[in-house]
Amino acid sequence: MKAIEIIGKGEEMHGRAYIPSGREEAGTIIKKLKENGFAHFVMLSCVDWIDKNEFELVYHMWSYEHKEHAMISVRLPRDNPSMFSMHELFPQIETYEREIHEMYGIDFEGNSRLTPFLLEGWHDTPPMRKDFDSKKFAEDVFDSIPEIKEEEDEGI
Amino acid sequence: MGLSDGDIMRYEEWNKISRIASRKSLWMLHFCTGCGAVELPPVMTSRYDMERFGMGPMATPRQADVLLITGYLTVKTLKRVVNVYEQMQSPKYVISFGSCPINGGMYWDSYNTVKRLDRYLPVDVYVGGCMPRPEGVMNAFLELMKLIDEGKARGWEKYQKYYEQYKRNQKMAFGFERGKNEGD
Repeated sequence: MKAIEIIGKGEEMHGRAYIPSGREEAGTIIKKLKENGFAHFVMLSCVDWIDKNEFELVYHMWSYEHKEHAMISVRLPRDNPSMFSMHELFPQIETYEREIHEMYGIDFEGNSRLTPFLLEGWHDTPPMRKDFDSKKFAEDVFDSIPEIKEEEDEGI
Repeated sequence: MGLSDGDIMRYEEWNKISRIASRKSLWMLHFCTGCGAVELPPVMTSRYDMERFGMGPMATPRQADVLLITGYLTVKTLKRVVNVYEQMQSPKYVISFGSCPINGGMYWDSYNTVKRLDRYLPVDVYVGGCMPRPEGVMNAFLELMKLIDEGKARGWEKYQKYYEQYKRNQKMAFGFERGKNEGD
């Protein structure tokens, strides 16, 4: 059975099933897909739609039985974004959530490991958000570091 | 207490001999950052065979002479690189690969890549390119040997001499100067 038939909504997009979902029902949809052959959780990705003032979380799943890729999309408001953790369904989601928490600042309720992951000592805006000015940050931090001043005639 | 002319001459002679010996037995530390590490297998193995110059890979910093920075450096990696560099015994040399440690390369506006490596560590030889071919890497090794022979590869002395400046720059990159970092 195809993912769209299992859930009863969604559309075909470039050969993949695209299922828009609300914040609350996403857990039910992922559980239902898992029970119906979508045993492989591929990844959790995030898009910052700054024009619409929304984050989009995309849960990618793959079924070896049907050879089908399903994407469950959850839209969250950009102010204080929060989502339910799915690590009880697939344990590897915990790590994806950790990364997205660090890179986009999205809170995952129920995930107890939202500690610093790839960045060290980061206290600025989460760097993958589109309103974070990477060029300005690089200029402020790295271009302000002075050169090593050497004394002359030392032969070093 | 002064040294006599004879002492200085013997010291210079001994330095020359030790340089000749050390340039023929450079051990390269296995510490690969970024994408340049893929250029090293052909350099180390039979195609280019760096062992004919007496160079070999070494797993621990305390027995290595050459530190290769093979590509972009993030702030997080720079901390480890500084740790490793300070564990190495003098004389020690740094070779920087590619355009990223020179001025940031394609990561010039990245939030996490330190741009100019020479502000944090003394670099003896640069290899340009993105990425340099194994021929370029071999050429850099020969260049380093030539510099050692002439007594010009003195980055490690520079690091000792301007230690405060290097430490200040490293701390600035790690975020201590921004006053928000809670320690290393």
